[in-house]
Amino acid sequence: MTPVDGSPARDRSPVVEFDVYQHDSMAGSNAAWAAVREECPVMWSPRNGGHWTIAGYEDVAAVFRDWETFSSERTDPERSSVSIGAANIPLLIPEEIDPPRWKPLRRILAELLSPNAVERLRPRVEHWVTHTIDQFIERGEAELAHDLSVPVPSLVTMEWLGWPAEEAAGAASVFHDMAKFQHGTPEYAAGAARFQWLMEQVSKELVARRESPRDDALTAIALYEVDGEQLPQEVAEAIVFMTIGGGVDTTTALTSAALVHLGTHPEDRQRLIDDPSLIDSATEEFLRFYPPARTHARTVTTDVEFAGCPMHAGDRVLVSEISANRDESAFPDPDTFDIDRFPNRHISFGVGIHRCPGSHLARLEFKTSIREVLRRLPDFVLDQDAVVEYPNWSVIGGWGSIPVTFTPGPRS
Amino acid sequence: MRITVDTEACTGHALCLANAPDVFVLDDLGYNVTPAGEVAPELEEQARRGALSCPEMAITIEE
Repeated sequence: MTPVDGSPARDRSPVVEFDVYQHDSMAGSNAAWAAVREECPVMWSPRNGGHWTIAGYEDVAAVFRDWETFSSERTDPERSSVSIGAANIPLLIPEEIDPPRWKPLRRILAELLSPNAVERLRPRVEHWVTHTIDQFIERGEAELAHDLSVPVPSLVTMEWLGWPAEEAAGAASVFHDMAKFQHGTPEYAAGAARFQWLMEQVSKELVARRESPRDDALTAIALYEVDGEQLPQEVAEAIVFMTIGGGVDTTTALTSAALVHLGTHPEDRQRLIDDPSLIDSATEEFLRFYPPARTHARTVTTDVEFAGCPMHAGDRVLVSEISANRDESAFPDPDTFDIDRFPNRHISFGVGIHRCPGSHLARLEFKTSIREVLRRLPDFVLDQDAVVEYPNWSVIGGWGSIPVTFTPGPRS
Repeated sequence: MRITVDTEACTGHALCLANAPDVFVLDDLGYNVTPAGEVAPELEEQARRGALSCPEMAITIEE
């Protein structure tokens, strides 16, 4: 990358009228990104406030890794810096913090969600998956988004935080409810109201943990010290928000994607039933093919030329994980779902310093959920006509409804 | 075969460990701290898979 010295006018080019918020279905989003890769993998779009668009695998990875040039720091108090659009959400910590402040804040989640820490959660993940399937296994029918892929990550995450058990499932599902409904609908408004309630509860719980510590992640965050001082209350709240907002509905979306895929691809389902050890490579392929986080955003910190394009300090950059994951220069036959694909260096958890710190827990929740579905309701039949996708696939993808029938089985 | 890990590039995905549990050593946060060195012949295939799985391309193999 070369700094552009004395660059004259803001000669951004090429310019393409590309509106990521028009992506209202998975197929539509995938097709739009395929066209972008084909025609103009780095371009300026004047839509959504104006932004560069990065679609190729190597460029997406390069932007994610170069945090000094492509910053995640919040620049507008009202708008997320890491997604394009007008999302008015609380500051994400550590995602919207760059070094040097990033390191001690990231370390909290790195410790709480390390591979070893997650391994210690395995019995709880297995418990909640079993418990959740027990609630519907005798019925012979279920709506697997509502009955499985929403509650499992919610219950695991909220118990890990130390939330009251009776409120756990309802508390975390607020993010799913907001993703599932269009802005402006009464259902979305109800979700937004519950979101406010959740934030107030997080604040109260953190204060309570400082007074009476327990053995849970809320306590660890409440009492965590940087340079000998506890985190300010609003920073602790933001970290908790990050774990719920970043970790729950994304894992839900991946689980839902796999359930819909297995409901429509009997040959893949049979292979996983016959050889459960394939779940490891299959998981990476589900992640590549159906990334829950479809895009992120960054802000250019200094005038640079990137991929031949003149970028200016302050320019916004839209980075597409879904497009990178379908780039044929990185993945042979990228539109084919291949359970055995290896290597599979997808970008679905991001790369670079801001990569998802919850990836180890997400993989454990996902693998356990899919393994148990294939063991306990292996013959499930998907009502394909009644499957409902999220209404918008610009930032996060997912499913609102996955109705199935199956041979009833016993509770565990 | 000799492996070298770029510990600056490692961001703790831990996929090397999943693919090559007998080759790579991670610290308590999940970051690769394997010292550079020779790989025993029986572990070479593991090491190759571990290196190929790294999303940060942080592992170099010299055959």
